[in-house]
Amino acid sequence: MNSQALLYIIVLPIAWLVIRCFHATRSRQIVLLLTSYLLYASWGIGFLGLLILSSTANHLLGRLLKARQSVGRLWLGILANLALLGTFKYARELLPLLGRTQLAPTIAHIVLPIGISFWTFQTLSYLLDIYRGEELDPSFTEFLLYMAFWPTVLSGPICRLSSLLLQLRSTENPTLNDAVRGMDRICVGLFMVALGEILANGIHFDQGVDHAFQIFSPNFTGPDVWCLAFGYGFELFFNFAGYSHIVIGAARLFGFELAENFKAPYISTTPSEFWTRWHMSLSFWIRDYLFLPLAMFNRSKLWRNCTLVISMLIFGLWHKGTPLLAIWGIYHGILLVLHRQWQELKRRLGWDFSGPIPNLISWFITITSICLGWIFFQSNALTQAFDMLRSVIKVSSYSMITLPHSLYFLVLVLVLGYLGTLKLGNLVTGRLNSFSIPTEVRFALYSTAIYVGVFHSAQTQAFAYFKF
Amino acid sequence: MKHIVHILRGILCALIFVLVLELCARTDDVLSYGAPFWGPYNNEILLKTDNLGKWGKPGARYEKWQLNSLGYRGPELQPGTVRIVCFGASETFGLYEAPDEEYPRQLERELNKLAGKPEFQVVNAAFPGETLPTAILRVPEVVSQIHPSYALIYPSPATYIEITPRSVSPARAPRPESLDDRILGLRISERVGNLLKSALPKAVQTRLRQFQIERDTTHVRVMQTLAEANVERFREDLGALVKSLRAHGVEPVLVTHATIFGSALTPEDRDLLIEWRKFYPILEEGGFIDMERRMNQAIRETAACEKLYLIDAANEIPPGPNNFADMVHFTTSGAEIMAADLAVGLKPVLFPQTYGKNLAPSAGRSPASIGCRSSARLGVSNR
Repeated sequence: MNSQALLYIIVLPIAWLVIRCFHATRSRQIVLLLTSYLLYASWGIGFLGLLILSSTANHLLGRLLKARQSVGRLWLGILANLALLGTFKYARELLPLLGRTQLAPTIAHIVLPIGISFWTFQTLSYLLDIYRGEELDPSFTEFLLYMAFWPTVLSGPICRLSSLLLQLRSTENPTLNDAVRGMDRICVGLFMVALGEILANGIHFDQGVDHAFQIFSPNFTGPDVWCLAFGYGFELFFNFAGYSHIVIGAARLFGFELAENFKAPYISTTPSEFWTRWHMSLSFWIRDYLFLPLAMFNRSKLWRNCTLVISMLIFGLWHKGTPLLAIWGIYHGILLVLHRQWQELKRRLGWDFSGPIPNLISWFITITSICLGWIFFQSNALTQAFDMLRSVIKVSSYSMITLPHSLYFLVLVLVLGYLGTLKLGNLVTGRLNSFSIPTEVRFALYSTAIYVGVFHSAQTQAFAYFKF
Repeated sequence: MKHIVHILRGILCALIFVLVLELCARTDDVLSYGAPFWGPYNNEILLKTDNLGKWGKPGARYEKWQLNSLGYRGPELQPGTVRIVCFGASETFGLYEAPDEEYPRQLERELNKLAGKPEFQVVNAAFPGETLPTAILRVPEVVSQIHPSYALIYPSPATYIEITPRSVSPARAPRPESLDDRILGLRISERVGNLLKSALPKAVQTRLRQFQIERDTTHVRVMQTLAEANVERFREDLGALVKSLRAHGVEPVLVTHATIFGSALTPEDRDLLIEWRKFYPILEEGGFIDMERRMNQAIRETAACEKLYLIDAANEIPPGPNNFADMVHFTTSGAEIMAADLAVGLKPVLFPQTYGKNLAPSAGRSPASIGCRSSARLGVSNR
């Protein structure tokens, strides 16, 4: 736990109690805004200044756009936001190209403001929604709060103003039921983050997925690479989905219902389905504001496929402007194109592959190709990624394993355990809904989750998406 | 009545919450470290107290710290090896390094790599809070158990800030455990305390330490620099330890004391000095740097006077947070540099045929010039 986490633990219960004392919407909004600013300032007072500046400018741009919906005004807003994002997020990537120019030392000192990718995309969706004629009329306070809302400002989910505005204007105070539901989600999130932590660090010291990626050598065998690909895929899932649970739960404590960000992505049977279940707030953003408008330009199949690849390339670059992330995006774009072509082929030839066996095969192909893609996402260099892929396709490298057995065991148990839990969950969900957990048992579960998430992982815990 | 039921239920829930946390902490200890589920589990279980003071409990284990059957940190003694015993305090015992990465372990690996076979064993006879007077008293026992050929002495100067009468073995009497430390023996209380401490912003932590120092020094005279008598006492004790080891047929090698602080103090260094002073409030922050310099000079002079090999770790180990986890304790990479440094320094002692014994006096410093009570030729490592 770091000082920010401690601040959150201290400030949020106070804010919760204060908000319950206010009945006027505006007062509650101001308390929420001040809380959000206080918490965000703990990451850097300069970051807060930038957020306020961006929020103010975008609110103004939104008003201008609302007054006259012109393409020029929209582009002004888009370019201004992309310039801001580009300066803080991508300028450093250009350092190797700048060499010893006068600009280089200045750029080297640029620090990435936490959450800038998330709140800039929120701004863009606001401007685009106004341009599309959506009835959005946030007050200045509401817009500031939309941008700085403390549960989402650091790592999403990327919200749309249309879904948040009504809740911001709600006159109802958070209830005890909200608190219980929120705590439930936070506990699930803490468990998941702890599982991700175990995968990252291993059962024994320095025998986890992260360390293996750090020390990767070309001697790693095919099974090793598969183990790392699946291990990292699930580590990232547990970490980010766990974080999203915590955020959604924390917002629920205050009576806000945020959209889901993950929906059991690893049970997807096609790449397209995967992207409706993984980091949903970003993938839907890309679909609605990038893919669909681009696809409208031209109805040809070739253009549609190109649009898919371009959209996924931008999806990858949203994370970081590196060649590895660009390749990761293109790889997923190609997977989506291949899936689309396969569907067309099936339709044309009248093939029907339904039933459990084809579904199982489809699921297996999907999960393996998705996990293979994580190699690009997590590798330290292009050479490492290609060395890993070489090991995967080299048949002779499947004769032995070099990673610790404990890591294989861990990955196997967590992957199978997770998939088994999902299956079991489906079986008992109906019965659980009618079963109310006694308060005492609930407290015991909270206690366990807090221990696992806060105390056990206290030394090393970090949320993967904070760096984006 | 309904209110009373609600209150009782609330208390029950709070109790369940704490009990489950405690249950988790104990289960975690069992799974992570093989700790006992019942009974106390803290760093005190590593130590026993006898008539000479605190000493390692044979076979004890606490978290990453494992003692062997003789009560020393590290593996069991291997027959047929040349043994080097390390005397020191927590810096030598190892606090922050990964398991088996404290400098004595790394030194053993370095030496055996040089030898090309498992010829040497480095025994870690240090304990947190160990002082030179205690070490002197322990020499006969250590020698009879380990039969070392060489002894590395890495003394901790700070233990001489609060000088105790010579008859008392530990420099600082053990503080009785209080309810503040471990509330009702709950393991979770210690974890909560540590978590809160680590989560507090640096500036707040420093301010709290300053408050504590101010409180502790209300009725105490604070020293700007360490009194010369303390340095003299350190010099005497070091000399006595050297003599005692030699009397038992063990050749001592002295090592100067390294710290995180470089020649120019950074704002972080000033915070660290306040952190250090919290343990020894009677010495002002600036006095610590001066103390290190003078104590290290005393070590160098003792080495010169007693014709001992000296390894000047204070000058060899780069300062800064990469090598030090706090003021004086090594990180794993710091311990690695220390071990490499010691191995180089020990080469002429352990491999005289290969590296030769260079006993040339150091330039411009003769035993007489540095005031040895019984001067003879100088011994400096050939590095």
